[in-house]
Amino acid sequence: MTFHLYQILVSLIAFAMIYQGIKKYIQRKKGQTFLKLSVRIAVWGSMALIAVFPKFTVFLAHIIGIEGNINAVILTGFILIFLMIFKLLSAIEKLEQNISELTRKDSLKEISNKK
Amino acid sequence: MEKQNKKIYIILPAYNEEKVITEVITEIQKVGYQNIILVDDGSSDQTFKVAKKTGVLVFRHKINRGKGATTKTGIEASKLLSADIIVTMDADGQHNPQDIIKLIKPLIENKCDVVLGSRLINPKGMPWYKILHNKIGNLITWYLYGLWVTDSQSGFRAYSKKAFTLINTLGDRYEYDSEVIHEVYKYKLRYKEIPIQVRYTKYSMGKIQKQGFFNGVQTVYKMIWNLIS
Repeated sequence: MTFHLYQILVSLIAFAMIYQGIKKYIQRKKGQTFLKLSVRIAVWGSMALIAVFPKFTVFLAHIIGIEGNINAVILTGFILIFLMIFKLLSAIEKLEQNISELTRKDSLKEISNKK
Repeated sequence: MEKQNKKIYIILPAYNEEKVITEVITEIQKVGYQNIILVDDGSSDQTFKVAKKTGVLVFRHKINRGKGATTKTGIEASKLLSADIIVTMDADGQHNPQDIIKLIKPLIENKCDVVLGSRLINPKGMPWYKILHNKIGNLITWYLYGLWVTDSQSGFRAYSKKAFTLINTLGDRYEYDSEVIHEVYKYKLRYKEIPIQVRYTKYSMGKIQKQGFFNGVQTVYKMIWNLIS
């Protein structure tokens, strides 16, 4: 089994990313949740898996039900990116609401304190 | 001003309105309403200082948060001050304070919980593109939020205590106006639409932060996002 340069590079990057995630999770750094770690392992793990075992895409295509194996990979990637964007937008929206709430509390503190 | 022992508060959400704000406040005071709350939404001009000089209650957002967030701050302030009826109106002078009485009358008589000022019942003098813009807004509001009203984007509205206690909006910007319609529908509040006069001046038409095409698209996006998120 011969390895191409891109396979080695992708594997190394994926390994480094997963290692960082596990390290942060074990050290219980702020904002590190199990869900976040799972997503990280799933995304980078899949990339490494596809890079090292390209034939895995045929299996993936068979599971998803799409004929072309590359199309299956692209579709899966799109779904993952879409989910990530959705999560990101939700987080931004929540932050925006929190900022508005803080701004409101600050502007009303004079009358709130009197109550 | 207390009408039939009702404590009525007028809320003015303002952003960069230093040129007209004194006149707008004086005009409201002249028709007999003294409980006026102005919320300055982090203006970059002297709106806050100018409004303070008029003697009304003035609150200030340290950063700009949008019309919806500013109106909500005014409503929260009125709640803290034990208001019975709240009237919201634009701070650029486009709404006529003479119409306030028409808006609060059905609330005082307990005929409904929310009164919506409508520019489109009698759109005389309204530019055609504004009419079109508002009609599209009404259609989208009806489709997404389930309630048909003739002016879903009007900022001139009055709320009873029951209504402003129940209504809880999250929209910070122009989607706020449609979100109120959704809340009216959700809580099955009794509402009435009253024709209002709108004074489109060179000043109010020239303001860049008013609802334009791109703001409109952003508002629709926010409305859809509020439903799916």
